[in-house]
Amino acid sequence: MSSSHKTGGTKALLRSHEFILFVVVVVEWIFFYFIGTSKNFSGHTVGFGTLDAQFDILRHSCEIGLLALVMTPIILTGGIDLSVGSVLGFAAIVFGKLWRDGHVPIPEAMLGALAVGACAGGLNAFLITWLRLPPLIVTLGTYSLFRGLAEAVTHGADTFTGFPDSFNFLGQERWLGMPAQLPVFVIVAIAVWLLVHRTTFGRSFRAIGYAPEGARYAGLPVERRIALVYVLAGVVAALAGIIYTARLGEAKADSGTGYELFAITAVVLGGTSIFGGSGSVHGTLLGVAAVAILKNGISLAHGPTEVADMLTGVLLILALTASIVPKILSKRPARVQTVPSTPQPSPTS
Amino acid sequence: MKKYFRELSVAGALGVLLIALAIFAPAFYQGQPLLSLLTATAPKLVVACGMALIIIGRQIDISVGSQFAVSGACGALLLGHGQPVAVALPAAMLAGALMGAFNGALIAGLGLPSIVVTLATMVSFREALRWKRQGELINIGAAQWFGLGQGHGQWTIIIVALAVLLAVGCAMRYLAAGRFIYAVGTDAEAARLAGINPRLVTFLNFVLIGALTGLAAMMAAVQSPLVDPNAGVGLELLVIAAVVVGGVSISGGRGNLFGVFVGLLLLSCISPALTYLGVEAYWEKAIQGTIILLAVVADGWRSRKNKN
Repeated sequence: MSSSHKTGGTKALLRSHEFILFVVVVVEWIFFYFIGTSKNFSGHTVGFGTLDAQFDILRHSCEIGLLALVMTPIILTGGIDLSVGSVLGFAAIVFGKLWRDGHVPIPEAMLGALAVGACAGGLNAFLITWLRLPPLIVTLGTYSLFRGLAEAVTHGADTFTGFPDSFNFLGQERWLGMPAQLPVFVIVAIAVWLLVHRTTFGRSFRAIGYAPEGARYAGLPVERRIALVYVLAGVVAALAGIIYTARLGEAKADSGTGYELFAITAVVLGGTSIFGGSGSVHGTLLGVAAVAILKNGISLAHGPTEVADMLTGVLLILALTASIVPKILSKRPARVQTVPSTPQPSPTS
Repeated sequence: MKKYFRELSVAGALGVLLIALAIFAPAFYQGQPLLSLLTATAPKLVVACGMALIIIGRQIDISVGSQFAVSGACGALLLGHGQPVAVALPAAMLAGALMGAFNGALIAGLGLPSIVVTLATMVSFREALRWKRQGELINIGAAQWFGLGQGHGQWTIIIVALAVLLAVGCAMRYLAAGRFIYAVGTDAEAARLAGINPRLVTFLNFVLIGALTGLAAMMAAVQSPLVDPNAGVGLELLVIAAVVVGGVSISGGRGNLFGVFVGLLLLSCISPALTYLGVEAYWEKAIQGTIILLAVVADGWRSRKNKN
């Protein structure tokens, strides 16, 4: 899908999923620009259309964006990680605990949180690759486990606050005119894009997602490659936890609750097949933009926040349906011809 | 004996926990608190029966917590407007069945993965309810305990749950419909070639879990005079955990309702056991996660050994 414009020319580009999504994002942005922007009593422009609001959207979507970026290679391999939101919360708590109660300096506490993220991802990777357990149920278990550990450490009520300004700078201030966490996001985005689209690793993720057994026979170290994407997800989720803490100025046990939904929505919206095998990182970035503009646009237009979350779910179902319809249409004539000799596998399996 | 090793080992774990409680915390066995614990567990058992069928059929439904809240609110609103239980209960079950049918249509009809569909509907159903009700409590007035008084009401709820368990358990064992679910969960393609319609089985499975969730929501709603529209948060996790701990294979086709019953009892006893044994209750979620992981690791370990 990502390389379609190279082979098929301009026409294929215009029909590609990414281009359609790009148009949707632009339309969405223009829509909220008109309904979300207004003038206040002193004649200043307020709401969606201001530069401040745009920066705020970038700020708020940074953590979900990071999670969606690392969710992309996981879904490419045909897996899923429901635990990223919980890892985010647990890493934030570990960071706060190390700094306040362990009297560890900020940089070392950050490293500690990243290490915890790596271990959390490592636990997922170990259970999925070593015992060949389904990623869905493993990460459902760790989803509960890591959130539970965060609650156990904080006794459900304790929060860590009072971080130095130099740390909160990362989440709340501007650096060279842009939100300070934006460079971090851009670096991770470029790194993941290069990993998925410009290395043999990226190719192997698709191969594994498309046909795991085939990838094994082709000599790919399937287990190690799968382990890599889950550990990567753990580390980046911890990084997102640190940025989340800096943005709010406090670390609490419910940090990032439900973020896995937004990350998965962004990835699927971005054109990555939920069954693995095809997709792109730039598609995911557009998916993040679509989710973030919807979420922040509605709240800046003073709409109810519940509607934004509700629509995200609806958007996910629509994106899934849209991705499956061409498959059903293209399968139908083939099925009529091949039924006598080779029956098609049933889609419910 | 060997065939039911998995179920019996869970029953053994439950036995050990109960004996440990009898020795170290005899206060656990006081009549009224124990009856309250069973009453609180009864609705979860009904949802777990539905979830067992879903997982045996090789699907998953993580939207049950939201279905629980929505159908509970529907039933409670009718009760609050003075409708009798005979109207509110079928209405709640219908609301659940409709939500289940929505999931089922997307999953069985379009072939979308159940985990992502129900993840989306989990959020959409709950947020729609929040938007509509803004978290307002619903007063059901005299309909509490079905209007029976606490003692009789509690027993009614427990008996209804056990009746559902027995009915679903027998259906899975003795009815062709039950065997169809095992067949579809083991190998949908083989089931199709054998003349079963796997899509229809999956669709009806989701309708059934919706209706059972509606029933469970009413069983929970009548336990207090004010119904919380935020009920059922995290219910899906507890129920899936109970089903998996009870020996139902997450990859479908294996498990029975007795195991689910024992698994749910084991998980339900943990929280009060923690309190009685003096462990902080904050550990509950972490312990639940660990138990899910232990159960799947045990299953994975066994299938790995069988393969070699």
